[in-house]
Amino acid sequence: MSDFSSSVKLKYAKLGYQYLINHFLTLLLIPIITSISIKLLRMGPEEFINLLNSLHFDLLHVLCSCFLIIFVLTVYFMSKPRTVYLVDYSCYKPPVTCRVPFATFMEHSRLILKDNPKSVEFQMRILERSGLGEETCLPPAIHYIPPTPTMESARSEAQMVIFTAMDDLFKKTGLKPKDIDILIVNCSLFSPTPSLSAMIINKYKLRSNIKSFNLSGMGCSAGLISVDVARDLLQVHPNSNAVIVSTEIITPNYYQGNERAMLLPNCLFRMGAAAILLSNRRSDRWRAKYKLCHLVRTHRGAEDKSYYCVYEQEDKDGNIGINLSKDLMAIAGEALKSNITTIGPLVLPASEQLLFLISLIGRKIFNPKWKPYIPDFKMAFEHFCIHAGGRAVIDELQKNLQLSAEHVEASRMTLHRFGNTSSSSLWYELSYIEAKGKMKRGDRVWQIAFGSGFKCNSAVWKCNRSVKSSEGPWSDCIDRYPVFIPEVVKL
Amino acid sequence: MGRLQEEGSHPVHGFRLSTVSASRPTETGTTHEPTGLDLAMKLHYLQAVYIYSAETARDLTVRHVKGPLFSVFDQVPWITGRFRRHDSGRPYIKCNDCGTRFVESDCDLTVEEWLRVPDRSIDESLVYHQPVGPELAFSPLIYIQMTRFKCGGLALGFNWAHIIGDPFSLSHFFNLWTRAFAGEKIYCPKTSDLERSFQNPNSTGKKPDSIKRVNPVGDHWVAPNNFKMTTYSFNLTVNDIKSQSPANGNEFEILSGIIWKCIAKVRGESEPTVTITVIRSDPNGLNPRAVRNSQMISSVHVDFSVADANLEEIVKSIGDAKDERFRIDEIVDDVSDFIVYGAKLTFVDLSDVDFYEAVVMGRSPESVYCNVQGIGDDGAVVVLPAVKKEERVVTVTLPEEEMEKVKWEMKKCGLITLVN
Repeated sequence: MSDFSSSVKLKYAKLGYQYLINHFLTLLLIPIITSISIKLLRMGPEEFINLLNSLHFDLLHVLCSCFLIIFVLTVYFMSKPRTVYLVDYSCYKPPVTCRVPFATFMEHSRLILKDNPKSVEFQMRILERSGLGEETCLPPAIHYIPPTPTMESARSEAQMVIFTAMDDLFKKTGLKPKDIDILIVNCSLFSPTPSLSAMIINKYKLRSNIKSFNLSGMGCSAGLISVDVARDLLQVHPNSNAVIVSTEIITPNYYQGNERAMLLPNCLFRMGAAAILLSNRRSDRWRAKYKLCHLVRTHRGAEDKSYYCVYEQEDKDGNIGINLSKDLMAIAGEALKSNITTIGPLVLPASEQLLFLISLIGRKIFNPKWKPYIPDFKMAFEHFCIHAGGRAVIDELQKNLQLSAEHVEASRMTLHRFGNTSSSSLWYELSYIEAKGKMKRGDRVWQIAFGSGFKCNSAVWKCNRSVKSSEGPWSDCIDRYPVFIPEVVKL
Repeated sequence: MGRLQEEGSHPVHGFRLSTVSASRPTETGTTHEPTGLDLAMKLHYLQAVYIYSAETARDLTVRHVKGPLFSVFDQVPWITGRFRRHDSGRPYIKCNDCGTRFVESDCDLTVEEWLRVPDRSIDESLVYHQPVGPELAFSPLIYIQMTRFKCGGLALGFNWAHIIGDPFSLSHFFNLWTRAFAGEKIYCPKTSDLERSFQNPNSTGKKPDSIKRVNPVGDHWVAPNNFKMTTYSFNLTVNDIKSQSPANGNEFEILSGIIWKCIAKVRGESEPTVTITVIRSDPNGLNPRAVRNSQMISSVHVDFSVADANLEEIVKSIGDAKDERFRIDEIVDDVSDFIVYGAKLTFVDLSDVDFYEAVVMGRSPESVYCNVQGIGDDGAVVVLPAVKKEERVVTVTLPEEEMEKVKWEMKKCGLITLVN
């Protein structure tokens, strides 16, 4: 009983402290205003007029003051960064004919790797613990035994996912292809000539003065890098919009060898794409879903350990695949710490920052053995979108940021339904939160993405208008979610 | 694979394998329990080939063929599962959506050239045959081969484990595909275990003649043969059959009688063939249509020498065949292996199966072939409908050494009119 009452007391003390610090200025202002108003009320109206006359206002002074105020305001508004709005986005929903149930994946694996039962066993164990569901999809070329990845089939997968997502985006936003000013495509592992952005320009007959960019090789965090590029461009170009296409083309990158560390991506990566419309136009302010508040990029590539942890290489038989090192989770944890050190001050309320500062000073000066204070990010955000890189990534972040199961539900369910769709997974997660009807006006969302390099990028969005759950990749299955995902699925 | 596929220069080549499953995930833990009758069929496989002309199929791509399959498997998801064994050893299907194997191949001949061959058993090279096992958990129950002819025509060949259903089910399954292809919404009800078993209170305890226990085959479900079997197929008209017997009778029974007599003559006194198995559609016609083993397996036993007997007497005996399904259901246990086709000389009546209702782009197939793989040493005769209503296709599978003699006898009777 005393434990309960003391914990309740602690809770109230904590709430009291937070309220005090976060509204410090307001709380300071109240007594000042009260005392001034009391003083004014005590003075009679005549004394008040006398006070004003004694200030010797004359026309010149008044005009100069006005001009000064207007000048300061103009400089302020001119130098303020343009707000970037996310008008809408759409995620690609693969056709059911591309579905790969666990049993099918394992059977194919056994047939293709028939000389390496240990590798098959390894893949089975990975799949059992992966957190993926039975509805994830692979492109048609990978359904063959053995897979038939040709350039033609890779291009056809790219066309299928990108064009479908873009058609959906056009329908949702009413955007005309000729109105696109900036086009940014990010696809890490498939980079044909002409580029995927050229492929889009060709298909939709976009304008000849379009500013197009194609980012390749930047891993799963490239989606937020594209948003960063778009944001910077939208500062320079007034009254413009930008379309971002984030995808990963699986066909040419399916590992055909039998090296265990390189078979892991085959088990996790699945088909997906997202198309996003960003704009800095004032007219879009009313219909935009989100507003971009912050975007922080952290690169740990200077350290060799981070640089080599996700490394594309040839195995001893000449098959190209991606080697994931064993300390991937530790490196991800460090990259995250780096990122939140930068983003913390931008988003955390003053109460948390003060506590963190006190804990930091205490550890540096008084006693290094003090536990480092982990700021409570749940106070800064309502929703979290953690890149669905794998179950381990989500578990690690949930632990590090002390999030509840509800906060990471979007990430886990996206991993279950769509697998790891690389840079577009953050958008599937956002779509899940919207489909569940949880997105309200004023809600803040934190998107965190990890990628090879090793990079940790995060973006903070604020919801501009309440989002009604509408057509999206989750519309036919959202009622089944959330599902319980067992630790190990028995195949 | 069919016999011919082992040769290097066969006209059918270029096999590309992939897998087709159902579009909706099946709930984890779902299983399908085969009945005794299903298990009796486990060493047999149905092979069916539908050939479509170039006009019909020129524009049908692999995606067009695969797409409707997903809708059909949604209705019958358990056939995409894989076999496991209970602790008792009894096989059951784990419904894990593993899928069926889809094989794409090409043929150097045109449909016309292919159909010109009078012996339709060459269609067996358009079927990708693989038995179930040696690893039950990784063996698809159905293989679908899509062969593109030089002219643009298409052949769809099915290798269908008989344990999941009979030829009527296979035809129903493919007809569902044609309807899904045409854009219709299809529905196939789930059959309860009760609907699939046979209740016959008049059990005499006698062992059924139509089924034979074989040496254990373990998990590799291949029917053991002492002889190399060969197949011969020929066409004939219903009139040809009816003209053989003065009495009015069912053409299948008359035909069976004639062929039984021919085979008995060849086999002579050393192996008196006095018992045969007759497999036909269930006269009670279980409705609605579903995927299951519902064919009526009956046995005919005569006390006279068939080689010398009157055709009318033979035909009458065939008409009095005794339904043995209940006895088969009783005798089949969890672990023993049995064969039905070829345990005794077997006659299969498929002449009322709706093969030609598999209409694609408004046109029926140019040809449909159906036979059983894994027929026992006593042989089997399958009677199919032909494109023309008044014709039948007869497929005879016998030990190699008997075939020529039986063909000679059939020619003497006037059944075979072409020299082949």
